[in-house]
Amino acid sequence: MATNVSAVYIQVVDDVISKIRDEFINFGAGESALAELQAMWEMKMVQAGAIPGNIERPAPQKNVAPTPVHDLNVPYEGPIEEYETPTADMLFPPTPLQTPIQTPLPGTDSGMYNIPTGPSDYAPSPIADIRNSLDLKTGRPSPYMQPPSPWMSQRPLGVDVNVAYVDGRQETDRGSSQHAMTQDFFMNSSGKRKRDDYPSRLNPGGYLPQQDGSGDITIEFSLPQNVVNQLHKGSPKHGQGSVTSKVIPDRGQPAVLPQSDGVQDDYDDLFPFQGVTTEDYNTPGDHVELRAPTPAVATPKPSKDEAEEDDEPSLNEDDDDDDELDDDQDDDEPNTQHLVLALFDKVTRTKSRWKCTLKDGIMHLNNRDILFNKANGEFEF
Amino acid sequence: MSTFELYRRSRIGMCLTETLDEMVTNERLSPDLAIQVLMQFDRSMTDALENQVKSKVTIKGHLHTYRFCDNVWTFILKDATFKSDELNEPVKRVKIVACDSKLLQQ
Repeated sequence: MATNVSAVYIQVVDDVISKIRDEFINFGAGESALAELQAMWEMKMVQAGAIPGNIERPAPQKNVAPTPVHDLNVPYEGPIEEYETPTADMLFPPTPLQTPIQTPLPGTDSGMYNIPTGPSDYAPSPIADIRNSLDLKTGRPSPYMQPPSPWMSQRPLGVDVNVAYVDGRQETDRGSSQHAMTQDFFMNSSGKRKRDDYPSRLNPGGYLPQQDGSGDITIEFSLPQNVVNQLHKGSPKHGQGSVTSKVIPDRGQPAVLPQSDGVQDDYDDLFPFQGVTTEDYNTPGDHVELRAPTPAVATPKPSKDEAEEDDEPSLNEDDDDDDELDDDQDDDEPNTQHLVLALFDKVTRTKSRWKCTLKDGIMHLNNRDILFNKANGEFEF
Repeated sequence: MSTFELYRRSRIGMCLTETLDEMVTNERLSPDLAIQVLMQFDRSMTDALENQVKSKVTIKGHLHTYRFCDNVWTFILKDATFKSDELNEPVKRVKIVACDSKLLQQ
């Protein structure tokens, strides 16, 4: 049933999104990237026709922070929206007595507490004084609190903490910049240390030979440190930029000659999904299996392109395949490639009669997606 | 944990791959994260097909090509018919790619 297929797809999408949410957060990509991924994925599927345009979900699965529980002062209204931003009253209890006292900053608080302890005759306790002074949120300084009056104006707002943190931020910034600067120095110094390793590597066999000039070989052995310097310039930060640049001209030459079984094998590995339209029976590994090695069967088709293969007669194996495939694809839509992706339990053959049992498959036939749990196939070869 | 990357070739898989490619190109995602997404898609798709789908299909046709390489069977059928309770589809040419189900249990 087509509707079931869409439902399964939507369920898969939701499942994937929910399970990679943690990965996104760990990687620092964030919820916005995740939402973008989901939206784009679904849009493409709608465009491709895999799911219908109106996506119906059973329940919106959104991670919304629950409303604060300690909200007893405000009457709990019935329909609470998910996106109701908590008001200041909800987040911060309106009772002013509890919060200001508990800030544990020694620098700013010591002044607060020490001063009232002196004239203890005037007040029953320093805490009472603080309460009295802080209740005056307008900033009126109390007679006991004259020296710390600038802090007084800030205390009701709880900004003392910010003062300390601002300083801390500056310190951390300086520290990080210093650290970054020191990192540069460390890079060079670590590079210097690496020098000690190079002669040991070069001496055994000269494995990084400089074959771009005959004279260089003698230079290598006689002045190992010069070579090390040349190698060393590229190594610390930019990897093996200079090193590989010397080696590539060597490797480039021998790489071209022996490749007689396919000109663009590497490119086929990079683009494995393209290859179904022109089915080349002679190169099985390139299009279907992503990890298949280069096929041992020499393909005559690309060999025609090689200058060295002109002597061998062309086998013309591909003529029939190409003709058949072209004829068939004229009838079908060029975009729909009927395809079944599944797992097999058993594949057997008796003479020319093939039987197979498949399971857990996705079929794409006549521009429709069909899913199956089990399939039995009987083919005549 | 290894996954079958087979289902990435389906429409849903290709949509996901294209989406991830765009996001990696725009540097919205790192390539490692995109790979993690695809692996999770492999697992989720496999689970969904095992648990949520219950239909049985019969396939008959002429086998034009068969291939078995790296534990993957590839068949190309000509003039095949797919039948099930609610399905009767003749197709001129279809490709079947099947991975070994026993590998999943390892």
